[in-house]
Amino acid sequence: MNALSADEMERFQKLSNSYQPDVQGPLVSTKQSSHSIALDYSNADPTLATKTNALAITHPECRIMKGDGNCGWRAVAFGYFETLFALRDTLRIETEIRRMKSLTTLLERVGLSDSIYEIFVDATEEVLNRTHAAIQNGAQDESFLVDAFNEGYCSDAIITHFRILTSAWMKLNPNRYQAFLPMPLNQYCSSRIDPVKTEIDEVGLQALIDGVIEGSGFGVEILYLDRSEGDVVTPHQLSSNSPSGATIRLLYRPGHYDILYPVETLNMAPIVNLQYGMTSDYSPWDQAALGFDVNSSLMAIPNLMQDTSFGMGAPMSPMPSVSPTPASPFRMSPQQDMYQSPMPTHAPIPPIPVSPPPQIAPPSSAPPPMTSLPSRSSDGPQIRLNPLVMKPNLSRSLPATTPFKNSPYNQAHFQNSDFEPIHWEPHERR
Amino acid sequence: MGSIKRISKELTELTESPPEGITVELADESNVYEWNVIMEGPEGSAYYNGKFLVKLSLPTEYPFKPPTVSFATKIYHPNVTNDEKGSMCLGMLRADEWKPSSKIAAVLQFARQLLSEPMPDDAVEGRIAEQYKNDRGRYEEVAREWTRKHAC
Repeated sequence: MNALSADEMERFQKLSNSYQPDVQGPLVSTKQSSHSIALDYSNADPTLATKTNALAITHPECRIMKGDGNCGWRAVAFGYFETLFALRDTLRIETEIRRMKSLTTLLERVGLSDSIYEIFVDATEEVLNRTHAAIQNGAQDESFLVDAFNEGYCSDAIITHFRILTSAWMKLNPNRYQAFLPMPLNQYCSSRIDPVKTEIDEVGLQALIDGVIEGSGFGVEILYLDRSEGDVVTPHQLSSNSPSGATIRLLYRPGHYDILYPVETLNMAPIVNLQYGMTSDYSPWDQAALGFDVNSSLMAIPNLMQDTSFGMGAPMSPMPSVSPTPASPFRMSPQQDMYQSPMPTHAPIPPIPVSPPPQIAPPSSAPPPMTSLPSRSSDGPQIRLNPLVMKPNLSRSLPATTPFKNSPYNQAHFQNSDFEPIHWEPHERR
Repeated sequence: MGSIKRISKELTELTESPPEGITVELADESNVYEWNVIMEGPEGSAYYNGKFLVKLSLPTEYPFKPPTVSFATKIYHPNVTNDEKGSMCLGMLRADEWKPSSKIAAVLQFARQLLSEPMPDDAVEGRIAEQYKNDRGRYEEVAREWTRKHAC
C-alpha cells in the first residue's frame, strides 16, 4: 500500500470524522412477520437459520428498530409505552406519569438543572398523556406510538430522557455497576451513556432496566440470537419483575436490538371461549367483533367465578352470538337431552341421569343440521355435539381446553385472584 | 417546540449571570439560533486584553445536535482554523460525542479555557501546533501581535 501524503491523510480523516452510515427505514417500524428475520438468515450459518426459523414460530411478529446507534434505547422506550398501552389501564398510566416525574430527583441529585432536563421529561410525559387519551378514546392499535417515535424530536427527547436517567441512576448506585465497567463510572457515563447515538451495551441496558423500567413492574426479556449451541434463541431475564406479567421482549443480534412479540401476547385480552364444552372445532373469535364486553358479560353470569367447576355449569350460554342472559331458552330442560351436559350441574336444574351412548347419535353418523338459533323445532334444539361431551368423566378433562386453561379468568389459573386448584371429588362423578 | 424553550432558558441564564469573560447576545433578535459572543482573552494568555467575536450557531435539532463555534475575529491558535471560517474544533462539539445535557455555557467556558491552554495534539492548524510545542516564545509573540492587530 502506498504511503499517503499528510494532505491525503488529513482528507481521509475528515471524511472518516464526518461519516454518517446510510441507514434506511423508519426509526420504529410497524409490526411485521418474524419470517423476514428468518429469511435474512436463510443462507447464513445453519445455527442462525435454525434459530430464526424457530423464532418465527414462537415469536411470529417483530418490530424493527433503525440501526442508528439508538436502537437499544429506542426498543426499550418504545416497548415501555407499548406495553403500557396494551394494558389499557388509565390508572396505571397516571401512576407512571407520577413516577416519571418523581425520577427527576435523580437528575437533580447528579447536578442537572431543571432548564436542561425539563424538555426531555416533557416529551415522555406528553407521550404518556397521548397514551392515556388513546385508551380513553378506544384507539384500536398502537399506531399513534409508532408515529410519535418516528417524529425526530419526540424520539430523540424520550431517548435522551431515558439516557440521562440511566446515567444518573448509575452515578447514584456506583457499587452495583463499577465492577462491570472497563473504566471509571463517571467516564463511562459521559462517553457511553450520555452522548447522542452511542449504542447501549449490556451494563448500560441493565442500568436502564434497573433505574427506569423496573419501577413500572414490567418484565424485560432479551432473546439472544448468536451461534451458540442450541436450536432456539437464548432468553435472558433482565428484570426481577415476573416475566409472566406484562413484558417487553427484545431480540438482540450483535450490535442491534429489535422488539419481539410472542404467540401468547398477540391478543393481549384474555382468551375466553364461550362455546366452551360445546364444540371442538371453534375458531378463535375476535373480541372486537362482539357487540358486548366479554369480561363484564362473563362476570354477569351468576356463580361463574365462584364455582370451582365453572364453565361446566348450566348457566353458560351455548353460543357467543347469543346474549348470555339467564333466561336463555337454551337453559336445559329434561326434554333437551341432545345437549344436556354430562357435567355436574347446579340448582335450579336437577341432575338428570344420562346414559350417554344410546341417547346420542354416534359421532360417525352425520350430525343433525344446525338450525338458526333463536327459532327451534318444538322437540328441542338440534346441535352438533362435540364428541368430548359424550366422554364419561369429562369433569377432569374439560378444564384442559387450552385457551381457557391459560386464561387468568379461569379460577384454576394461578394468577386468578381467587385461585383455587381444581379438585376432583368422587361424588361429583356420574 | 422544546428546542426553542431550552435555548431561551439558556440564553436567559447566560445573560443574567454570564461566566467570566463571556458576554452573549442574539445576532438577530428574531432568531434564537444565531448568537454573538464576546470572549475576552484570559489573563496570563497570549490573548489577554483582546476581545474576540465568536459566532455560536445552534442547529434546529438542538440539543440533539451540537452547536458550532467559530471565531469571527482573526486569532492565531492551533485549534482554530486560520481561514475566513475561524472554526474551532472541540471534542465535545463533535456530532458523535455531543451530549444533549451539555450547556452552552459549558461549551463557551471550554472554548475560553482553550485560549489559555491550547491542545496541540488535537490541532487543526498543524504548523501553529508545531510551533506551540517547539518554540513557545515565537508562538506567543505572533499570537500577541495578532491579538493587538485584530482583537483590540
